[in-house]
Amino acid sequence: MVIVVVLAEFELPSQVGNEREVVDRVAGAVEGLELGAERLERLKTAVAEATLNAMEHGSGYRPDRPVQIRVVREVGRLLVQVSDRGGGRELPERGDPDIEAKLAGEQTPRGWGLFLIENMVDEASITSDGERRTLELVMALEGGADGDA
Amino acid sequence: METRDLEVSLRERAGAVILDLVGDIDSRADANLQSAYDDAVRGNRSIVLNFTRAGYINSTGIALIVALLADARDQGVRITACGLSDHYRKIFEITRLADFMPIADDEDGAVPGAEQGHHA
Repeated sequence: MVIVVVLAEFELPSQVGNEREVVDRVAGAVEGLELGAERLERLKTAVAEATLNAMEHGSGYRPDRPVQIRVVREVGRLLVQVSDRGGGRELPERGDPDIEAKLAGEQTPRGWGLFLIENMVDEASITSDGERRTLELVMALEGGADGDA
Repeated sequence: METRDLEVSLRERAGAVILDLVGDIDSRADANLQSAYDDAVRGNRSIVLNFTRAGYINSTGIALIVALLADARDQGVRITACGLSDHYRKIFEITRLADFMPIADDEDGAVPGAEQGHHA
């Protein structure tokens, strides 16, 4: 049996700056899990980038196309799911950004979001049902079978 | 997480121009950061980005820094960073920004010759 505890579930309009509120609310929701300061900072950066990605590439910064956030604790791991309605749209390029190419003007200076996400959390994956796309961030929790952090 | 639009002030120390970055480095920081850099780069060969009082830095902020660094390389200007938190220092290492922009723990370490001058 998988024990799932929903720690938070909410949505916010896709507006510049709203990723900060998402970060605050997710950080509040996981407060009792004792992730540790460094891993919490990593999670916060990943949540901010996932939300920015959803608002920009999924919702086109349209306030009427909100992003949905779900924070779930399972045994031994924490999930943060960031969803938008851009399931049919292509994501920006994947893969590691090349800073040398960027400094040489051969690539745009941008394109760090997914790279940062993948380096901040233990696992990251994207699923889509054609309309809704979800970026799921996973952080392992210490504590084994009882799920205690 | 408190939000604060970026404010940048310039000062000179031991032949370098120090940009004190106060606030968030995100998409809203573009104009202030670029304007301060444009002022700093005139006639100077050494710029220090002081992150001691910087707050949130996101991927767009990193892109802004990459753009400054690209311009500085074209102009033969050295950019050094200092005052980064452990978290953002790690991000600068992961992104390899640190390979092209030395990171000092503090301002004394970022300004060539400043320490000697400070103690003289």
